[in-house]
Amino acid sequence: MKIAYRHLVQHIKESPSIEEISESLFQLGHEHEIEGTLFDIEFTPNRGDCLSVNGLLRDLSVFYTVETNQEIYSSEIEELQLDFENLLPDVCPRITFLKLEIDKNPNLYKEYLDNYFKDLNLNKNNFFTDISNYLSYETGQPTHCYDSNKINGKIVFSELDTNEEFVTLLDKKINLTEKNSVFSINNEVINLAGVVGGKNTSCSSKTMSVLVECAFFKPEAIMGKSLKYDIKSEASHKFERYVDPNCHDMVIRRFIKIVSDHTNIKNISIYYNEFEQNEIHKIPVNVHKINKILGIEINKDQYLNYLIKLGFDISEEQISIPSYRSDINNQNDLAEEIARIIGYDNIVTDELTIPQSKISNKSDIEDKLRFFLLDQGFYEVINSPFVHNSFDDSIKIDNPLDSNKEHMRTNIIDSLLENLTFNERRQKDSIKLFEISDIYTKEDNQIKKTRRLGVIASGRVGHNHEEFSKNINRKYLSDKFNDELPNENFNFKVLNRETINTKIKNEIVVSEVNIDSFSPEILNYKHKSKPPKSFNQYFAISDLPYSKRDLSFSIKDYSSCDTLKEYIMGFEDKLLKEVFIFDYFYNKKNEEIKIGFRFIFQSADSTITESQVSDRMGVIINHTKNIKGVKIPGLK
Amino acid sequence: MSKDKDISPPELIKDRGALHPINHMKDSIMDLLISFGFEIVNGPEIETEKFNFDMLNIKKSHPARQMHDTFYVEKKSNLLRTHTSPVQIRGMLEKKPPLAFISGGKVYRKDDDSTHLPMFHQVEGIYVDKNVSFAQLKDLIYKIIHSLFGDNIELRFRPSYFPFTEPSAEVDILSKEGKWLEILGCGLVNPIVLENCSIDANKYSGLAFGLGIERIAMLKHGVTDIREFYKSNLDFLSQFK
Repeated sequence: MKIAYRHLVQHIKESPSIEEISESLFQLGHEHEIEGTLFDIEFTPNRGDCLSVNGLLRDLSVFYTVETNQEIYSSEIEELQLDFENLLPDVCPRITFLKLEIDKNPNLYKEYLDNYFKDLNLNKNNFFTDISNYLSYETGQPTHCYDSNKINGKIVFSELDTNEEFVTLLDKKINLTEKNSVFSINNEVINLAGVVGGKNTSCSSKTMSVLVECAFFKPEAIMGKSLKYDIKSEASHKFERYVDPNCHDMVIRRFIKIVSDHTNIKNISIYYNEFEQNEIHKIPVNVHKINKILGIEINKDQYLNYLIKLGFDISEEQISIPSYRSDINNQNDLAEEIARIIGYDNIVTDELTIPQSKISNKSDIEDKLRFFLLDQGFYEVINSPFVHNSFDDSIKIDNPLDSNKEHMRTNIIDSLLENLTFNERRQKDSIKLFEISDIYTKEDNQIKKTRRLGVIASGRVGHNHEEFSKNINRKYLSDKFNDELPNENFNFKVLNRETINTKIKNEIVVSEVNIDSFSPEILNYKHKSKPPKSFNQYFAISDLPYSKRDLSFSIKDYSSCDTLKEYIMGFEDKLLKEVFIFDYFYNKKNEEIKIGFRFIFQSADSTITESQVSDRMGVIINHTKNIKGVKIPGLK
Repeated sequence: MSKDKDISPPELIKDRGALHPINHMKDSIMDLLISFGFEIVNGPEIETEKFNFDMLNIKKSHPARQMHDTFYVEKKSNLLRTHTSPVQIRGMLEKKPPLAFISGGKVYRKDDDSTHLPMFHQVEGIYVDKNVSFAQLKDLIYKIIHSLFGDNIELRFRPSYFPFTEPSAEVDILSKEGKWLEILGCGLVNPIVLENCSIDANKYSGLAFGLGIERIAMLKHGVTDIREFYKSNLDFLSQFK
């Protein structure tokens, strides 16, 4: 909510600067941004009472001398004979109507009203609606203005449970569906309660007689309506967060005063409808409890003084909670009030020692499996559970974010297959991935959870001279895993590539196993991989294609082999993404070593060009051809 | 050429894999909290409204319960948990105080942009004993934040609102760029929640806290787009060895 600095400071005796008020707001828990001379405040949902100038001033009065000197109409008002029926007293236990008739609409607004529109950069509408909007900003209570000449019949407040088209006062057509609390005349909706009024009874610049509705709606009746009908409604934002049920008389009298500040009033009459007395909630004074909750030492006088500043009444060792503070229900709530005033950062820490638990409940088998897979070159992934494909046992999402993914996955392999093809499209030639996740399915109308490990692998076994020429296949993986963990059954399978749109022919090997099928013997496996010691800084990934080059050397002077390796493996260039030895062979007959290096280049900014790669390879070739006893076969 | 020259092949550099950075971060935080005395409790990702909302004092009128914030499943019979707090409720129903639980895992909310995802990870902790105070909660939070970000990190506590804690706070850390960044939520367990779990709130009090793993991982690793964590891109994953 946006509140202008000057609308606050004009009521504060000490005239604090915008920065000083900003600091106070943070201490009180009202997170905000400063936009020029406006505070854009994000109030927590429990503080509906702060959604106005007066509400915020009430909170600030713990730090400053606040004087809200807004005048109200104080004379008696005659009773309005209104034909109104409230069929939902549980939803609207209190409602007040004011009928007011004026001589003429004013040409100009008084400074305080005009400044509201100027300072908040708002458009004016018509006289009565403008006052209603201003009053909501000033007091926090939304009111709705009907042109009383358009009210031709009995107003009924009821629940509509049929589909009906409704045109809002902003000329937006909406289809009311399911249950809605509405005001209607002769079964025609004139107001979607707490959200927006209808065009059929709205005020205009010609309106001279207005019927002002000032209501208290239970938040749960209004909740979600503006979102459902895509209506931006400040009124519903306030009603959803609880408005003061006891402010009607003050608000109506303030409305009259603002009108009378601008024009001559011919007639005023008022109608009260109250089904439920708002009981005053009381909590016993217990400063000891407050000190215990917060871990502080304040005395009773200090404590009560803070509460009085916030508008709480104290008598006979009881704290009466103001009607606008629906969020205060127990001693912990009062403790929070005190903590806000003291300042959370000013509460001194008290050392906490938690008795050490004898058990940690860490999933050791799962952890061991993860490190075993890391040793085999597998990368851990995490996938979304939302999928398109469904099976008989799939769980359906009632309200999916994406209508194409309205089911929970029933296996991990399908997700891993997507990960594999994604990486193949990114020219990866050795892909080994795993995921451990809960999988949820339906079984006899019950939700069943299983914790599973999924594994997928395809392409080259590895990027080194022993594994580069070998491709992953079912036998290789089964043998490898069996060698390391002879008592576990991963039950590897080969996945058919026909369902994937790819030209790559490499075998895809997969496994999906329930975690509880692994034996505790797995804990004896001595893993070599370790979690990283620090949190690496991430470098942005390029989505541009790679370019690769191979370079083979023949070495007669073995002592040069290390020199060559050190130079190439240590070669640094921002376009060189990876280099590794993909081939090594000792030819006994010729007494020479053959060694091959693969270079992978990629640019972060643009598709890498032939000349960029050739330039880098030229530097490497020029250097290495001069190393004693090293030749590049085929190089002219 | 002399035969005693070294012709042994080059060192075999085997490519080891890497833990997912989110799981690694979660494990690191859980290990830290275990060292403080907490024990792990686990619970389902598909929950009931009772455990996800009612028991945690999240009233029927709370916006979080709306269809636009929470994923409901199987004709609203269940939902995808929106936080890991229901696990603690289950823990409190099973054990009597003093108790110190942590729970970590996936949670779901209807969000999707560069800083929010419909699935993300949380670690939450709860400690219930006699005379647990806000001043002690602050001590624990300082220890957690200093362990994660170093002793010199500047932090501040701000009043906030969570239905299940009272008083509630959000904790910000000061970035190198001088910006305050929200890092965790915490508070004293609302006595209503303790009573819901049949714990005498006149005798016991508790503290609770929750951290968003992605947010901390983004800060620690310098990742700016949360979606990178879930593309399963080997160029990304291989950076976290």
